[in-house]
Amino acid sequence: MRSDETILLGAVAYDSKVVPIWEGIRAYFVSEGVPLDFALYSNYERQVEELLAGHIDIAWNTPLAHVRIRQRTSGKSLSLGMRDSDRDFHAKVVVRSGAGIRNLKDLEGKTLAVGSRDSTQARILPLHFLQQEGVDLSRINILPFDTDLGKHGDTGSSELDVLRALHDGTADAGTIGDLVWVTEQAAGRIDPDKLEVLYTTPGFDHCMFDALPTLPEKKRRDFTRVLFAMKWDVPEHRRLLELEGLREWVTPREDGYRSLEQALDAGSR
Amino acid sequence: MTPSSAAGAVAIEAGELTIGGGLLALVRPTLDLLEPGGVLAVLSRSTAVREDLPSWCRAERHEYLGREEVAEGMDRHLIARGTFSVPQGTREGSLSIDGRDGRPSSAAMLTAVPMPARASVETGFAPRGSRVEPGGPAYPFALNERDRVAPPDVARLYDQAVASQWDANRDIPWNTVGKLAPPLEHAIGQIMTFLAENELSALYLPSRFISLIHPAFAEVAMFLASQLADEARHIDVFLKRARVGGGGLGVSSVTTSRSLLSLLETRDFTEAAFLLSVLGEGTFLDLLSFIETWAPDEATAELTRRARADESRHVHFGLSHVRWGLQHDPALYGQLEASVRRRAATLAGVGGVPAPLQDALTILAAGGTEPKAVARGHEAFRELLETMHQNRLKRLEHAGFDAIQAQTISALHTPNFM
Repeated sequence: MRSDETILLGAVAYDSKVVPIWEGIRAYFVSEGVPLDFALYSNYERQVEELLAGHIDIAWNTPLAHVRIRQRTSGKSLSLGMRDSDRDFHAKVVVRSGAGIRNLKDLEGKTLAVGSRDSTQARILPLHFLQQEGVDLSRINILPFDTDLGKHGDTGSSELDVLRALHDGTADAGTIGDLVWVTEQAAGRIDPDKLEVLYTTPGFDHCMFDALPTLPEKKRRDFTRVLFAMKWDVPEHRRLLELEGLREWVTPREDGYRSLEQALDAGSR
Repeated sequence: MTPSSAAGAVAIEAGELTIGGGLLALVRPTLDLLEPGGVLAVLSRSTAVREDLPSWCRAERHEYLGREEVAEGMDRHLIARGTFSVPQGTREGSLSIDGRDGRPSSAAMLTAVPMPARASVETGFAPRGSRVEPGGPAYPFALNERDRVAPPDVARLYDQAVASQWDANRDIPWNTVGKLAPPLEHAIGQIMTFLAENELSALYLPSRFISLIHPAFAEVAMFLASQLADEARHIDVFLKRARVGGGGLGVSSVTTSRSLLSLLETRDFTEAAFLLSVLGEGTFLDLLSFIETWAPDEATAELTRRARADESRHVHFGLSHVRWGLQHDPALYGQLEASVRRRAATLAGVGGVPAPLQDALTILAAGGTEPKAVARGHEAFRELLETMHQNRLKRLEHAGFDAIQAQTISALHTPNFM
């Protein structure tokens, strides 16, 4: 375990905006009297190993990385906080209006575009829930968009690939996260006559700050105190919160990861 | 809360509109009318909305309360407005139109929302009276205190300025410019050169401050914009007069150049208003009056008369600005006097009025070069200097200075007039 007083936080560089986000958060923590630095990784797999090895104090993890940390520490890892936007994610199965798909059974024999295989919202959970609903995935022609592997779907590019495949008719149906779906609609980039939602999954939770149980109490206390003090109506904070896609940091909860744990268990069997 | 318990909510009829098909154009403005926690009912015939509205609420941090089918194929969705949106504030009523001429004056429109004593750097370019979403970036508007920026009558002066704009081509009887004896025509050319050079400085100096004025005091920036347009027109008309008569441009002297540089280097808005408008343009009123009195043709008389009317508006604004500032900050007396002393120190040793200008004004008043007439011209010039001094004293006392301060400041004023 690291011995110096600086909290070392790991994050994955899935986009160039990641640098200003963590530079800003580092400067904010330092201004609050809490030394914090960050290390950027190119993929979540390495970040998970680095946290487990004690090279970093805290990891900003996707749900997939979070569940892996939980499993590797036998549930003893510390969950420190999440974004308000990380709660109650849903995934959607969107279909082309002319594809003749009225219910989940109709998906069989059709082409289903899916996001990256490490994207919780665009692939792992929507396929898991479809199976739970009794859909036989082996009878569906899966069209995968495995872009940005290692980034766990953070870039959202595979979800946009899915929407493109639906718009241009390459796919009859597709799986994406609900945030991409509503923001693309609200921005007017979806033709409402062409696409419609067939199915919405149950809710699940998204990213989490993870630490090992050996994290010193002072670091844990300082980190959560300063993190939760960020406010949307403070201009310097708001700039960072907007970039990171939240309005406020909220306390952790574990129930929202049960479905992902089950999906991974089922997948490894 | 269950859907049925919110029967008194604000409701919108959304028909078959979807999130991606225009529904938000109804939902967002209606939510905007509610306080945080206020409930909106969306009556919808779209089944897609059943899936998407909860997701949209999550993305926008509104609370989706639930749905019930109120009729065959008709859902009622209930949404509670979230806390992360633009504060409600006060919505504006309509502007009352002036009963006299049936027109909404700019002054009535602008003063409908009072200026704040101190403007927030975070409201940026938001028009005063708009509802500003919190959390915006800070803007570098250094002039953000009303009492140092915005005298109360500035909006009225802006109205006057807009109504008084004229056309340097159409509104001057250029055909009255005739053939003058060369010395007189050259004198006109020299005077016009001097006027244009000084008006250029009056164009540049205020423009340095416009970008620093907080938009909460937009009427000040708007008035100054009208002042810049005035100066541009004056430069145009003075250069035209120099060239239309055939005299051409004369000399730009170092005295003028030094004087205008010391003016341009003023960094404080109130000091600039004082040096440029109260002292400089104030003194120019008498100069323009002198030229109009001795003008050899109607065009010269008309253009100086019109320029003088504009300048007197600038002087009025400068006086208002300085008076208002002095009323709220007595330390300003010392600051303004110090700025005049500092400027006088940079001009030490330059002598009197620039010689080419002095000679030209003398010849203008003489109407030519006949010696007895020149003697009268010289006397008129001497009287002009005294008139300028006396009127500066009046303006300084009107601004709020006592007689002794006014004497000191007027005596230290630049021999270049501006």
